[in-house]
Amino acid sequence: MPTPRSLRRTNPITFVLGAILLFGFYIFFFSSPSDDLPSTSTNGQQKKTASNALSPPSLPFRKPKSNNNNNPPPEVVHYYMSNLTTSRDPIANQETVLILTPLARFYQEYWDNLLSLNYPRSLISLGFIIPKTKEGSQAYALLQAQITKTQSLPKGKRFASVTILRQDTESPLQTQNEAERHKISNQKVRRAAMAKARNSLLFTTMGPTTSWVLWLDADIIETPPTLIQDLASHDKPIIAANCFQRFHNPETNSPDSRVYDLNNWVDSPTAKELGAKMGKDDILLEGYGEMPTYRSLMVWMKEDGGDPGKEVELDGVGGTALLVKAEVHRDGAMFPAFAFYHLIETEGFAKMARRLGWKSWGLPNYLVYHYNE
Amino acid sequence: MYRHAYQNGNAAYPLGGSGTFSIQPHKFQPRSHPLKRRRQLMTRLGIVGTLFCIIVFFFFPNLRPGGTSFGLFSSPEDSQIETVRYYDLSNVQGTARGWEREERILLCAPLRDAAPHLPMFFGHLKNLTYPHNLIDLAFLVGDSKDNTITLLKELLEDLRQNPDPKMQFGEMSILEKDFGQKVNQDVESRHGFAAQAGRRKSMAQARNWLLSAALRPTHSWVYWRDVDVETAPFTILEDLMRHNKDVIVPNVWRPLPDWLGGEQPYDLNSWQESETALALADTLDEDAVIVEGYAEYATWRPHLAYLRDPYGDPDMEMEIDGVGGVSILAKAKVFRSGVHFPAFSFEKHAETEGFGKMAKRMGFSVVGLPHYTIWHLYEPSVDDIRHMEEMEQEKKKKEEEEKAKKERMDKIKDTFDTPSRQWEEDKSKLQNLAQDAKKVADEPKKQVVQPDKIVEARGEEPEAKVEK
Repeated sequence: MPTPRSLRRTNPITFVLGAILLFGFYIFFFSSPSDDLPSTSTNGQQKKTASNALSPPSLPFRKPKSNNNNNPPPEVVHYYMSNLTTSRDPIANQETVLILTPLARFYQEYWDNLLSLNYPRSLISLGFIIPKTKEGSQAYALLQAQITKTQSLPKGKRFASVTILRQDTESPLQTQNEAERHKISNQKVRRAAMAKARNSLLFTTMGPTTSWVLWLDADIIETPPTLIQDLASHDKPIIAANCFQRFHNPETNSPDSRVYDLNNWVDSPTAKELGAKMGKDDILLEGYGEMPTYRSLMVWMKEDGGDPGKEVELDGVGGTALLVKAEVHRDGAMFPAFAFYHLIETEGFAKMARRLGWKSWGLPNYLVYHYNE
Repeated sequence: MYRHAYQNGNAAYPLGGSGTFSIQPHKFQPRSHPLKRRRQLMTRLGIVGTLFCIIVFFFFPNLRPGGTSFGLFSSPEDSQIETVRYYDLSNVQGTARGWEREERILLCAPLRDAAPHLPMFFGHLKNLTYPHNLIDLAFLVGDSKDNTITLLKELLEDLRQNPDPKMQFGEMSILEKDFGQKVNQDVESRHGFAAQAGRRKSMAQARNWLLSAALRPTHSWVYWRDVDVETAPFTILEDLMRHNKDVIVPNVWRPLPDWLGGEQPYDLNSWQESETALALADTLDEDAVIVEGYAEYATWRPHLAYLRDPYGDPDMEMEIDGVGGVSILAKAKVFRSGVHFPAFSFEKHAETEGFGKMAKRMGFSVVGLPHYTIWHLYEPSVDDIRHMEEMEQEKKKKEEEEKAKKERMDKIKDTFDTPSRQWEEDKSKLQNLAQDAKKVADEPKKQVVQPDKIVEARGEEPEAKVEK
């Protein structure tokens, strides 16, 4: 007797479930993105979509509806830059990071490593500057393929925006090959060009909502996935990781690593004397036997099994993996393309920041690895 | 139905005791009936609700549930959002005829307590002849105590709402950043020698913040303009651009009241370097800043401002080393390559002068136009105001004196009759007397003709004749 009845009867819970399901369907069908309207007031913390392509490159933008000239003029945008923070805990404060890379060659390992960073991608903007050479065009093609792949992912999984610039200044050296690149006679011209490229990239891509700038060279192929959080947690205006290079040691016939970026250093009296004797436009270079500076290089400060959080105050920095608070750049600290206190590019940058009252720091036991050619 | 009785507590049995022996219901009742009815009702309600929702959501998109970005209809929206930009910087080098090549200009204006000058400034903006849609406006408002921001927003919104598409500008952004400066902006403390170095450094900082946040890869030119420029040619952008220099400034003067000579050079920061100044720079310490236009540093530099000839060729160029910030047109590539306004002592200079020095250092051309002049607003200094007050008082004194003099004269006139009036009176009296005498003489004649009333009635004609 009770069996057929229980089949026919419908529990009210079913209705409730059905209603919830229906409601879910409605949301699915009719929901629209929350940031439907162009942002009229961005308070720095809000990461909104800009209404047009003229917006800062560090923000995504809406494609214009039509290509005719009747598009309404863009909204007046009010940015509250006083509310921008750069704190120890950048994720909790929703701080945006701009990762800048001067790119001459594209390494897949670089891109893979970039994707392995676990900082929220919606807070990361990327900027690349590529020379207008044949090699540069090849690198661009490879880079573009990867960007298309990543940026077609849904919203949370892609980067907030990507800007690619083609360099306007002539690249002084036709070859990017390592031996040629590191010749002392070529250094000043090469690094001046590099400085200009970095500045062009920096000043055109840094938007009013950017909190941090991470300089990451295109040949950095291995970093801890928490690179940004780790560097930011020290709350220093300028902080550099120690750059090494992995190689196969033929002597021990086993994988090994050796020092790479020599531009992170603490100044020495010898180097200062050397500078005092130099002409106005001469520069001091690090890592050349012809010019012994006796500076203490950060690469040699690395201790095996040392605390990765150990800090050292530096006078010169390299650009391989360098986290800078955006306000340092905004105050005017740039990469001098001329001899600034006999220093150039990233080393000159540290000096200029120092003149503006910002100190540079390094983490000798926190390693990133350079590509081995 | 009975169940309800129990639930109400009105039953014959106590509530708790309805356990083992009560058989409810007492007779067969198909329990499905009320349920069935309820089910039907719910189905109907469901259908009606569904329809209602569909209709409402269809016609009023605003009511659609938001907050989530996954969805069938949102995916095309999602693809409307572009995240990748590609720019070739060799397209934005800046040429002599930028308006033909559609080169974009970034117009930068740092503001602080500038509300009184804003309407005038926007008047200038509207009058610019350079295609407005190619001009992006960026303002940095910092440490303002007046209503600069609200007024600026209103004016920009007005500009945007302009129905004429040719009057509409490109990107307009307001950047608000307080640096917490203590330096006063009034004329006296602004131009006092002691405050100069610090003030110039903080100004430089503001300029750098503005530029670094507003410069885009699309800009070919950057134009810096102070809001307190009173008179400038409408074609100033084209005029400066035509020279095709990396950094170029016009001459800046200001009008003065007549008692101060009518006009005066204003911007003394555009100058050519001199041997004396270089020698002086070597003697100063690392953080010292040379500021031009003060007796403390005698530099003997040729200033752009003093070289002005009102009838000179406005296209004449002059190489300079330091530039003034009132109106600078520079190619964007200058800023892209890293030249900025040093907020520290760069070769003993800061801000715009340091900018000129740094641009020179990086091999860019820095040029001034001595005979092409724009006019800065005249704001009287404290001395001027004192002087003007004195002049005002003098004027009042003079007026009072004149008034007193006049009153005195009137009084004199009132109290003492002038002889001429006496003469007049006497004259008229005499005339009256003479007339009376004549009348007396005529009286008998009149009486003779009196019987003839008609003559009398006709009037004065005969009488007049008589009088003559």
